[in-house]
Amino acid sequence: MADIPQWLTQPESYDPPRDRDRFLDRSIVSFVTLLSRFRSQSALERDLLWVSPVSKLAAAVLYVVLVSLARQFAFVYLMLAYTAVLLALLPGGEIRRCLTGAIAAAALAYLILLPSALAGSRYSITMIPAKAFICVTLVNILSRTTRWDRLAGALRQVLFPDLFIFVIDITMKYIFLLGEFALQMLYALRLRSVGRNRGKYGSLAGAAGTLFLKSRAMSEELYYAMECRGFTGEYRTARVRPTWRDGVFWGLNAGLVFAYFFLS
Amino acid sequence: MHIPDNYLSPVTCAVMTAAMVPVWAFAIKKVKKELPKAKLPQLGIGAALTFLMMMYNVPLPGGTTGHAVGGTLIAILMGPSAACVSVSVALLLQALLFGDGGILSFGANCFNMAFVLPFVGYYLYKFIRERAKSRLGESIGAAAGAYFGIVAASLCAAAEFGIQPILFRDAAGQPLYCPYPLSVSIPAMVIPHLLVAGPVEVLFTALILAFVKKVSPDLAEPLPGKKTRGIWGLLLALICAAPLGLLASGTAWGEWGMDEITALAGYTPGGMADGFRFTALLPDYSVSGMPEVLGYILSAVLGTAVLVIVFKLISGRKKSTAQN
Repeated sequence: MADIPQWLTQPESYDPPRDRDRFLDRSIVSFVTLLSRFRSQSALERDLLWVSPVSKLAAAVLYVVLVSLARQFAFVYLMLAYTAVLLALLPGGEIRRCLTGAIAAAALAYLILLPSALAGSRYSITMIPAKAFICVTLVNILSRTTRWDRLAGALRQVLFPDLFIFVIDITMKYIFLLGEFALQMLYALRLRSVGRNRGKYGSLAGAAGTLFLKSRAMSEELYYAMECRGFTGEYRTARVRPTWRDGVFWGLNAGLVFAYFFLS
Repeated sequence: MHIPDNYLSPVTCAVMTAAMVPVWAFAIKKVKKELPKAKLPQLGIGAALTFLMMMYNVPLPGGTTGHAVGGTLIAILMGPSAACVSVSVALLLQALLFGDGGILSFGANCFNMAFVLPFVGYYLYKFIRERAKSRLGESIGAAAGAYFGIVAASLCAAAEFGIQPILFRDAAGQPLYCPYPLSVSIPAMVIPHLLVAGPVEVLFTALILAFVKKVSPDLAEPLPGKKTRGIWGLLLALICAAPLGLLASGTAWGEWGMDEITALAGYTPGGMADGFRFTALLPDYSVSGMPEVLGYILSAVLGTAVLVIVFKLISGRKKSTAQN
């Protein structure tokens, strides 16, 4: 049996000097959060709260308009209850995720409006945080319960031009692809920055610059691939037919519109 | 700077969206003309890039971090029209999928960040680069473009917030949406952008441009295009708009001449007004023995002239060294 080399038997005490690199961790965290959000939505086998995506999208816009226009707390309260019912229909994990952003938005609104409330404006401090909470929750419910490619398809059905949908489709795919690439570069920078690394800021700019160059190369590759498959500049999206569920859903929405006029 | 829903009235949102429609139409037309059909995928990938640029955190003094918008950078690299389309798509996805920025206020957000920011940034960059053809001139152009692009966008956002209490109040006189008038909203939005977000944007833009130039110089070549003439009009407009800056200090309420605002000024929360001591840091542009507004315009003229002189000197020096 070969002897263990001398240097291997000695205990090592290498303690690299600490460096300020919180911005690197923050960047990594924001990329990881983004990518996991993309993963979780593409894992959505079947849309939750199933009505057609175009109904969901149109209803979300309608709700936001109504809530935004409402001047009586009664209607805002009704919408709060409605939002709570929709939330209650979701699985627990989704509820928590929908609520996190909404509570943050409402808290921020409260903080922003606090000085004006202290100066005597009671209306804003009750209405705006509640409205912000409802709107963000409803948009979160829309985006959490619908697969994003179907949402893009729904945009097509509400008269967005084809070119626009095509751009959105590519954007969503490449946020993911480029995002993974960017994350790998950040990990590489993190791993190579042991102890003090003075070139870190330059390297971060390099990582972002490389992302730009990579995006150029990717878009060329994508175009050639599309041309090889006979892309002529026309882009069509499949339509989803409405079902009886959409009928029931719009009946409910009509009730909400009626309530808006009744309560205000 | 993403304006959420319910801070702006639906009417304001509709107006801002209507204002964006011709801009979008122009941008798409321009992009279709400039980018051959072969480059269509570039729009989508450009939008993805814009989205991701906002994910990079840049260190700030004091141990905190902030993220850049990168609008001017994208405009310099891909042209302002392509930047407009890309940033709009990125903003739409943020509003619809991430709840970041409102759905109704999408038009207003696009106006600030997909129109004002890249166009102001790009044309300022182009203007300076054409007059100061040295490498230094180009860097200064990019830095100035990035800085003033984001400051201009924040000023627009502040104006949108600030007009809410003037225009939309209920019978009891309580503001229905954002309750802060221009005298509060402008310093609250613009000062942090002048002091923090602007420098972050400059750092980010300059470093990445330098990198792209070094690694792939052909990609960072300026896009072909006509010389900028419209910039003079823009400068003139900015000079004329300079007195608006007076609103920020809250001294020009009399001049503004609307009883409503005076009423509102009384309502301005004392704690909030005291909170913005930064205003004291800004130099007072008024000249004694002269109406305040005139003094302001003169200061703006002087400042602009000095900037032009500096850039001409830089480019002149460059030319003479080239001749030698």
